[in-house]
Amino acid sequence: MKCLTSGIVVDNHAIAENIYKAVITAPVIANQCLPGQFVNIYFPESIKIFPRPFSIAGIDNNAILLVYKVIGSQTTVMSGWKPGDSVKILGPLGNSFNYSGQKNEPILLAGGVGAAPLMFLRDRLYQEGIKPTFFLGARTKSQLPFLSDLKSELILTTDDGSTGSKGLITDKLLEYLQKNDNPVSVFACGPDPMMKTLKSMPFPENLSVYVSLEKTMACGLGLCQGCIVKNSSDNDHKHYSLVCKDGPIFNLDDVEFDD
Amino acid sequence: MNLMIDLRVDLGKNLVLSNPVLTASGTFGYGDELVEILDINRFGGIVTKSLSLEPRIGNPSPRIVETVSGMINSIGLANIGLEAFLEQKKPFLRELNCKVIVNIAAKTEEEFGTVIQKLDNEDWIAGYEINVSCPNVKEGGIAFGTDSQVLDRLTQTLRKTTKRFLIIKLSPNVTDIAAMAKIVQDNGADAVSLINTVYGAAIDIYTRKPKINTIIGGLSGPAIKPIAVANIIKVQNSVDIPIIGIGGISSGEDVVEFILAGASAVQLGTINFMNPYAVNDILEFLRVYMKQQKLMSISDLIGRFEK
Repeated sequence: MKCLTSGIVVDNHAIAENIYKAVITAPVIANQCLPGQFVNIYFPESIKIFPRPFSIAGIDNNAILLVYKVIGSQTTVMSGWKPGDSVKILGPLGNSFNYSGQKNEPILLAGGVGAAPLMFLRDRLYQEGIKPTFFLGARTKSQLPFLSDLKSELILTTDDGSTGSKGLITDKLLEYLQKNDNPVSVFACGPDPMMKTLKSMPFPENLSVYVSLEKTMACGLGLCQGCIVKNSSDNDHKHYSLVCKDGPIFNLDDVEFDD
Repeated sequence: MNLMIDLRVDLGKNLVLSNPVLTASGTFGYGDELVEILDINRFGGIVTKSLSLEPRIGNPSPRIVETVSGMINSIGLANIGLEAFLEQKKPFLRELNCKVIVNIAAKTEEEFGTVIQKLDNEDWIAGYEINVSCPNVKEGGIAFGTDSQVLDRLTQTLRKTTKRFLIIKLSPNVTDIAAMAKIVQDNGADAVSLINTVYGAAIDIYTRKPKINTIIGGLSGPAIKPIAVANIIKVQNSVDIPIIGIGGISSGEDVVEFILAGASAVQLGTINFMNPYAVNDILEFLRVYMKQQKLMSISDLIGRFEK
């Protein structure tokens, strides 16, 4: 059940260059949210009117974790949050990763701060005794936030080779899959170019890919119908899905990206 | 004490709202999306997302962009169509205690008429709001609301089609909105609602591409509030039928301002995205304000600004 609530900031600090982790007490949301779901953060005094959607990166008792990159004025405000600050939050929103009962080997694939929802998924898989392989790509070493946090087997790339292999994380995934005959489910989140690359990759037949998508949203609830993605599941391409309500998690086979 | 404060507004023709706050079409879905977080019956009424005879998928991405104190949209009247509306949304809507006004969009005069005929037996519908002011579709939409002869004929036809409460939603993108409102009144409409969105555009300076698929879309949000107030003042000088004020309302103070300007009721639009609880905050403010101003009925404020 969605809830608009006042969360209390417990902790908020940088975990990499321009990347922060916030811990916000919000029991009603923390006690029911699922990996892949997101929350809206509101900025009531701002001349920018939209709330901002953030994937939930995990839960800690009655608190939710957010991992966010500072890119604009709202995330700059967030980076200044102090313990005790009150934050207006709506959630949990959207659908979730369908991982329970999967017989396939799970692989988590993240680009940069797109790792956020996958960290939550990883926690839940761990609780079920499953250790997924985590593929993580970033621009450079200083923007890799999760090294100390990642318990899973980690495969790492950076654009500049400053740590891990130099190159694209999607290429590493392809290499891995070519050596692996087991049925695999990939859960992925990253920037648009990474999603488009994934869509065009020659995946084997027995592979399922679930992606967490991002779009500009005004409401996060399905009211404004702004955050559309082409849905090709009915083969005629004449159908749009809402990222906020029908997603943000989609089967990659079902969605089409604009050029 | 609250019992003494009367927020009811009588729009005439047996349409009495429990309070003057309605939702604006296209910003509240069909009402059912918000039930988990909000008591929908707090509103005096809801105006549903524009409904057309057949489903419409709407415009391609990008459909929305945030601008200073506002947003530009070009959704293109995406909706599930009449058949699905009655099948999927009626069970929820008919149980509401607040009034339900169905907003209708169409490509032709005939389509408007057909939709109304098919809805006219539904006893849970309190009235229709006719969208003649959508700036984001190629056919119909604003074309109905910017040509006085077309508006004249359409209102006349729709008035003959239904006895129900009939609201025509006007565009600010005209030279003389007061003249348009007069045409609507002269043809027997029961109320006008204004303003729909204002033409707006935004360009990305790095890609040099428009930020909205249709290049020009509709601007809404607090940025357009003074435009709405000005248009309401113009219209209230030219017509006697009730005005439903729309455009950038984000607080109880704004609602009072609209009512003073001449609105009998108001609609909340973009604020539903900024603060889904806005209606609660607004009603609370109205009660405090009326008590403070020693007012018994909110209707006493309509058009009562000092010139």
